[in-house]
Amino acid sequence: MKGAPFSLILLPTLRCDADCDYCFEKKAEHHITLGQLSIVAQKVMDHMEYNHIESLSIYWQGGEVMTLPPEWLEEANGIIQAIADRRNRQVAHYLQSNMIAYTGKWNRVLAGMFGSSVGTSMDYPNLHRRLKGGGPKEYERLWTRNVRQARKAGIEVGVIAIPNEQTLEIGAERFYSHFVDELGIADFQINTPFPGGSENDVKMNYPLDTARLSGFLADLADIWIEQGFHKGVRVGPFNKLMDYFIHGSKDLLCIWRDNCVNDFVCIDPLGRVAQCDCWVTSYPEFHFGNVLAEGSLSDLLRNSEARRQLRARPVELIRKQGCLDCKYLTLCHGGCPIRAYTFYGDVFRRDPYCELYMRLFQHMEELAAGSLSAGLSTK
Amino acid sequence: MIEAYLEHNLVVRCHDPSMIVQRLATKDLERIQYLQIVGAGGALECLNRWERPVPVDFVVQNPEAELPLLYGYSAISAEHPVRVSVSVVPGFSKVVKLALSLDFDVKLEPSQPEPALIEELLDVADLYLHQSTVSQPVEFIHSMFLAFYHREPISLWAVQEEDPSFMRYITDQGTETISRRFAGVKLNYDLTLFIEKFMEGLFNGGSECSGCEFLESCSGYFKWPRKEYRCDGVKAVFQKLQETAEELRADFASFPSPNGAEPS
Repeated sequence: MKGAPFSLILLPTLRCDADCDYCFEKKAEHHITLGQLSIVAQKVMDHMEYNHIESLSIYWQGGEVMTLPPEWLEEANGIIQAIADRRNRQVAHYLQSNMIAYTGKWNRVLAGMFGSSVGTSMDYPNLHRRLKGGGPKEYERLWTRNVRQARKAGIEVGVIAIPNEQTLEIGAERFYSHFVDELGIADFQINTPFPGGSENDVKMNYPLDTARLSGFLADLADIWIEQGFHKGVRVGPFNKLMDYFIHGSKDLLCIWRDNCVNDFVCIDPLGRVAQCDCWVTSYPEFHFGNVLAEGSLSDLLRNSEARRQLRARPVELIRKQGCLDCKYLTLCHGGCPIRAYTFYGDVFRRDPYCELYMRLFQHMEELAAGSLSAGLSTK
Repeated sequence: MIEAYLEHNLVVRCHDPSMIVQRLATKDLERIQYLQIVGAGGALECLNRWERPVPVDFVVQNPEAELPLLYGYSAISAEHPVRVSVSVVPGFSKVVKLALSLDFDVKLEPSQPEPALIEELLDVADLYLHQSTVSQPVEFIHSMFLAFYHREPISLWAVQEEDPSFMRYITDQGTETISRRFAGVKLNYDLTLFIEKFMEGLFNGGSECSGCEFLESCSGYFKWPRKEYRCDGVKAVFQKLQETAEELRADFASFPSPNGAEPS
């Protein structure tokens, strides 16, 4: 039996209570039935059994998962667990939610199914996350209230933040202070925006200016080293890069794996299978197949032309995009295919944030070297 | 052929791993030290169905053509430790660079490198010695560097898995010999004595080995198959490794450890 888990990004619903400007998904009212979920779980376990994989990690995302009743999640958990028990397989669950519909009713399922932990998203300042028919202020007010309540209830909350033009204006100091000092968040991650899904004015401005964003990230990393690194505050991707440069541990973001095709797969409520949640609703040309309509998941994955294209991407990048000459090839392998596709319409291009990543890697390498030579390593 | 050798520790060589997965029983896997895959044939996916994490050695003989295949090995590397053994022929450094970026071990198969390849070897030595993102060994460079650092000679024949006292190579025709580069060569004596006899021949023939400062570790490794091969380029590589090892020793010496122990 194998140690590395099979990772599944599962979208049980495409319904969402928010209407954020940079969402890459095509929303709909679909949600998966418990019967369909059972079929999906059986086929995933068949695939695991065939490949001698012992454990399954399910990343529950939407749409918005909390538009489903918590009781539904508990029932879904029971169904999946029963199938896993019969197959002698382990399952771990992780949840990503916007927390807008969070109430105390979710605490039991958060504790029982998700290890009292949830990942959510918020920006500072918040310009683009909004409720349906509402504005960003109202969204932020609800989010802040609910996150505070969840934390009071003992739920650990990790936050993903996407920088915008105003984030770059206000600077890293205020950004860090807002999350860590004002909101008490000790685990957050910065992601880069990309124009996935339907077009709008906000997405027209991507990618953000590389030089300014690099400067912002470098400043933020410096502040984190000074104020948070030794206090256990985790700021991604800086903490993972420090782990790499200091300890050699390579647990990097999905955008920097040697090929994300080897690491996970996504299934939406209609049974459509794609590389990840960024692809599955908006890019039918990159569907691997439909697990509810077709036979085995293993065959579907093996025979998918779209998956073959994604699998071939890093090879094409080292042949034609100069990635083999990059000092940081081992950390990036050309970056994220959805970012390349949404910017250039071509997966066989480097991630448009390539230069940003190189500057970031260089900066983190210097910080790690400085930390080591000053004897400041936490280990 | 495998059945005849099952009482030995085995390295199983194949062109298509699916044949091996089909034919080897689970109990036989315990004897297998690693699976050696030569060339581009066959699908690797079948290895995921092997319950034992048998290490895999991918033999690259044509770097330009086989470079893209390395990414395929990253899909199995979580369960099967991967080493890439690459012939030192033009373009081999690209394979080394990509293999290291995928966290694979590397073994160089140098034979008798000509000057252009010495440049490429020096670049690879530089990559191994100085690039902060490299964390895997590149043999023979790695073991030679450690030998210089510890000032303790090693056997390059053993490092390269060509010391017949420890390892033999069975050709496709079933003949026992020293390694792939000896296939088809008739050695009419006990193979265990090969290195000793080969060195005797070098000394008797007035080879440059007799006065070479690297003889203790090298033992004439680069003098096969042509004894008249000039080792100036190889010596430049060894020289670079030795100088860097001495620099490192000096660096460590300037930061004595609290208990006085030498860092390993």
